[in-house]
Amino acid sequence: MKGMHGIIFSYEKPTGLRELIEHRVHGSVPFAGDYRVVDFMLSNMVNAGITDVGVIMHGKCQSMLDHLGTGKSWDLSRKNGGLTLLPAFAYAERRESAGQFRGKMEALDCVKDYLEHIRQDYVVLSDSDLVINIPLQDVLRDHLATGADLTAVCTAQLGDSSDTYFKLDGDGRIIDTVRDIHTPEGYRCLNIFILSKTLLLHLVEDCMAHNQYSLRGGVLQRLGDQLNIRAWVWGGYAARIDTIQTYYARSMELLRPELRRQLFCPERPIFGKENDAPSSYVDPAGECINTLMADGCDIQGTVKNSILFRGVQVEPGASVEGCILFKGTVVKKGAILRNVITDKYVTIRENGTLMGHETYPLVIARGAEV
Amino acid sequence: MKKECVAMLLAGGQGSRLYVLTGDMAKPAVPFGGKFRIIDFPLSNCTNSGIDTVGVLTQYRPLELNSYIGNGQPWELDRMDGGVHILPPYQSATGATWYKGTANAIYQNIGFVDMYDPEYVAVLSGDHIYKMDYSDMLRRHKEANAACTISVMEVPWSEASRFGIMNVDGEDNIVEFEEKPKQPKSNLASMGIYIFTWQKLRQYLIEDEADPASANDFGKNIIPKMLQSGERMVAYRFEGYWKDVGTLDSLWDANMDMLMPGSGLNLLDKNWPIYGRTPVCPPTFVGPKADVGNSAIAKGCIINGEVKNSVLSTETSVGQGAAVTYSVVMPGAVIEDGAQVSYAIIGEKCRIGRGAVVGGAPESTGDPGQWGITVLGPGTVIKPGEKVAPKTMLDKHHNEEVEA
Repeated sequence: MKGMHGIIFSYEKPTGLRELIEHRVHGSVPFAGDYRVVDFMLSNMVNAGITDVGVIMHGKCQSMLDHLGTGKSWDLSRKNGGLTLLPAFAYAERRESAGQFRGKMEALDCVKDYLEHIRQDYVVLSDSDLVINIPLQDVLRDHLATGADLTAVCTAQLGDSSDTYFKLDGDGRIIDTVRDIHTPEGYRCLNIFILSKTLLLHLVEDCMAHNQYSLRGGVLQRLGDQLNIRAWVWGGYAARIDTIQTYYARSMELLRPELRRQLFCPERPIFGKENDAPSSYVDPAGECINTLMADGCDIQGTVKNSILFRGVQVEPGASVEGCILFKGTVVKKGAILRNVITDKYVTIRENGTLMGHETYPLVIARGAEV
Repeated sequence: MKKECVAMLLAGGQGSRLYVLTGDMAKPAVPFGGKFRIIDFPLSNCTNSGIDTVGVLTQYRPLELNSYIGNGQPWELDRMDGGVHILPPYQSATGATWYKGTANAIYQNIGFVDMYDPEYVAVLSGDHIYKMDYSDMLRRHKEANAACTISVMEVPWSEASRFGIMNVDGEDNIVEFEEKPKQPKSNLASMGIYIFTWQKLRQYLIEDEADPASANDFGKNIIPKMLQSGERMVAYRFEGYWKDVGTLDSLWDANMDMLMPGSGLNLLDKNWPIYGRTPVCPPTFVGPKADVGNSAIAKGCIINGEVKNSVLSTETSVGQGAAVTYSVVMPGAVIEDGAQVSYAIIGEKCRIGRGAVVGGAPESTGDPGQWGITVLGPGTVIKPGEKVAPKTMLDKHHNEEVEA
């Protein structure tokens, strides 16, 4: 069968999202007022005509399971195919990894039966922690046109030194793959790969035979000379959510209209989980400016330069600036918040004051009353 | 499988008193309150009341309504057994007729109701905004061992002559029904919400159909006939918010009621959620120069101007220097920079050009009799700088309609 199959990796990473990943994995972190991070990649796949998506589950997956459900919100609740949740490590007790995520190739080996039954000729692999709106059908088109064995999506926008970087030859072929380099240079890997199902199965087997668990080490680096591995350079918005600082900065960027137009372009809509909240209400005494606001909010105080998720209440006299308030946050009368991220169902008591800084926002864990 | 109670939702009327808003769609499909459509209210009431089998009787311009209801999933009415069913008129061996009246619409679907063999049938209107627990009304119906229970509410005596009035005895048994009485004897108005014992109703529908003089209408024929025959009919008193949004003024009023804490229409109430189909769009952006006050704002809007005392539906935009006051803006409408919209209902996907002026405050017209809500039908484009006077109604071809 022509076309692509999607596989999304959702796994625990030891990175700096602190309180935000106390109860969840990176992919199910709320983002942009009404979404979870994984919504972006799921929507990219659906918008590219992909009908079958497997999500490899690992670690604190409860919130991800809740969120994905049957896949209906992405039109992936199908009689044939659709969304499949893959608890890869539930059957891996005999492995020495003991449930630890050591790499994508090992995770894929854990779900080899599933891979063998993939109906499509091509597979797109992606992480779940990337905020991007990318036409994957164009990546496949170029993958086929260039005759590449494997196509890796990357960007010229440099990031942290902990990211993976590619060095390309003049023809777009990846000739070196490096990470943890002191000064980032080259093209930053976005962890989106396209290859044929046949090659994928072969690579999984080959990597396992050579004790290679990661896709970077086992394929990109080890087999870089033998395979035609090509780069597909993406010029648009792409945000990997891995630390509180990047989370805050990449969120606040969305107050800029030109970035929102890229990320929420009408031809490729981003699907999120549906909800039944009514409209938001701004009181006569309330003030709300330069703010992204989801449904069901009740604004009686002042809100500036912020992102409000569903059902946030800001009581009279309260003042919220430069904040990201998750679903169900209540800011009581007279409270003052500056550069604060509150997780779901946080309550800020009357006249309380919480101050973070834009370079180091204060994070309040889920359900806390402060 | 047998059901205790099946709901039949009357959604076939044209809604001619909504004029340009219902030129292309049935009244229950008209957007309401930012992210809902009128039919979300009775459908959600059914779900919240535990009624899982609903027939929606459609006739006039049903396409928008059909696609909106779909398989009923947003209201949890996609069931293995039961669920929501769209019931248009259909052809039978002896010919085909349109639904001649509300009673005839149910009559033509006796077969549908019989499939579920219910004890009771709730007959609901598709054009009311209210939150009501039909299971409580059904309890009243069963306790009274009634043939028919009619939901009523107290209205101000001065307005009683505009309604169908129920005269009751000390135990709220209905003794007389008067349609728009000049001298009302009671102020209990029928809300057009009925629960019948199905075998009784079935019999009266068949008799009514055989009567060539009948208008085949619940209010005009079935209810008076049942009373006349001495059936046990009781009133169910409803207290809470209820509004028939069959006219432009009442539709505008009901939207404005959402903005008034004391009105009783509290959509944020989590105990009785109203469900609807969720549009796919990002959160609303309120810009740095926006000024929003006393307004309900749905998802997907981009607001850079002033919005006061208004309801903005999903994916509407208000440009810089534009002002929207005391207005209802339906989904996808665009109000360009510097345009002024006041006391208006702006239909879906309208475009108000730069600097255009639509509607005006009551005090802006010299003669109060000449003032009214300005209404633009779906898809109407107002050119930059154009003026649309208060009380004007325009459709997308700029044909002006005049209130009858």
